[in-house]
Amino acid sequence: MSLKSDASKLYLSYLWWVLEPVLWVLMFYLVFTVLLGFGRDLLFLMCGKIPFLWFSKSVQSSSNSIVSGKSLINQANVPKQFFPYEQVHTVLYRQWLLFAVLFGMTIVYGYMPSLHWFWILPLFLVQYLLVLLCALAAAICVSYVRDTRILIGMAMMGLMFGSGIFWDLNRIEDPVKREMLVTWNPMAYLIDAYRQVLIEGTLYDLHHLMGLAGVLVVGLILVHLFYRYMGQSIAARVINS
Amino acid sequence: MTTGDILLSAKDIEYSYNSRIWGFKHLSYPVLKGVNFEVRRGETLGVVGRNGCGKSSLLRILNGVVAPTRGKLEHAPHISRILLTLGMGFDKSLSGRDNALLSAMLQGYTKKEARAALDNIKEFSELGDFFDRPVKTYSSGMRARLGFSTALMTDVDLLMIDETLSVGDQQFNKKAEKAMMEKINSEQTVVFVSHSGSQVNKVCSRALWLEDGVIKAEGETREVAKEYKHFMDSLSKKGGKSAWQ
Repeated sequence: MSLKSDASKLYLSYLWWVLEPVLWVLMFYLVFTVLLGFGRDLLFLMCGKIPFLWFSKSVQSSSNSIVSGKSLINQANVPKQFFPYEQVHTVLYRQWLLFAVLFGMTIVYGYMPSLHWFWILPLFLVQYLLVLLCALAAAICVSYVRDTRILIGMAMMGLMFGSGIFWDLNRIEDPVKREMLVTWNPMAYLIDAYRQVLIEGTLYDLHHLMGLAGVLVVGLILVHLFYRYMGQSIAARVINS
Repeated sequence: MTTGDILLSAKDIEYSYNSRIWGFKHLSYPVLKGVNFEVRRGETLGVVGRNGCGKSSLLRILNGVVAPTRGKLEHAPHISRILLTLGMGFDKSLSGRDNALLSAMLQGYTKKEARAALDNIKEFSELGDFFDRPVKTYSSGMRARLGFSTALMTDVDLLMIDETLSVGDQQFNKKAEKAMMEKINSEQTVVFVSHSGSQVNKVCSRALWLEDGVIKAEGETREVAKEYKHFMDSLSKKGGKSAWQ
């Protein structure tokens, strides 16, 4: 439904779903490859930017979702997680097309599809959990204190620089620093893992992925408990402010 | 469950508004100060009171949207409730049909049931071709019609109405009133809130008068409406203060 709603607001409607990420990647290409000479090709940038856009778009649109659902919240005791969930799945739905573009690009660059590509699926699943957790948590923060929306925007910008979208994680020379980045920024790890599967044809660190999945599941349980017991408190904050 | 069962019961409900003025400055304002009453299945309960006496806050609590600051709201298990106010939660870029579908599903309808209810909603609202156009193209009267029809044509256990009887033009009002009366005479439980005693008198079987956060009178509608009118008359004669002063 909100897919329909979003699309009808803009002139080029559905086309933007693909056009926007492609323009982003072209911009990065122009700045980092053509001007600064980092020497990274379009495929490398796409492998970073497309998963990252999935993450940042979901979290940003979810963060405001409860607050903008005010009139509905006023009307009936709907479960508040409905709002971020709706946003996350709206964005998720568009991702299929984008990943198709990414896979197409990979083939254009001469990496043929193989069974090895199925290793992408666990990455999808873990990234989905990550997106869900961050989106649900962001929506709570913004409904309690509106100002956090600005901080979330800044955090997304920071993550964009810190996740290795236009540079290679493995170029960090200090292994301790590199390890720290991978541990504390799951997006950096995931983007690197996508590249390992699609471009290098190798396999990522499976243990790390399982550990990450475990942490995310625990986080999700906690955040759902919060929604379960604090639903009316969230509503009171949203309505009375 | 049968008629006469207690659907909701409010026990010593207190509620204070906590809103932010600016920066870290907050204002806490007590709205309800210990309210006790029951809503029985099948009845139409009217709540009258002047502006700022706590009617809307009471509705939000009854609806389960917010929790009372103190006291308890007990309710029968698994009841569906909806609050009908002007300017309901529409997504303005979606068509009236999609909005009605969404709203019916949020009331606990399955997608199939919601679709089945759509034809009734379309017919009752008399929106015609506009029903399939985005809500942003609606006039405010059309929007009210859509909201009213959606709430009225879907079956909920408890329907709460916040001063919305005057939703459309005369012809639609008559029809809405008639449909309301049908609902009221059927098993539908309704809580109707208004600042007009005569409106409550027209539709409700039992009434409460809310003043300064407490129930001033309760019982047969005619008596309550009379007392309320008396109070309001004396207020306008003497030029008394508003409820929040």
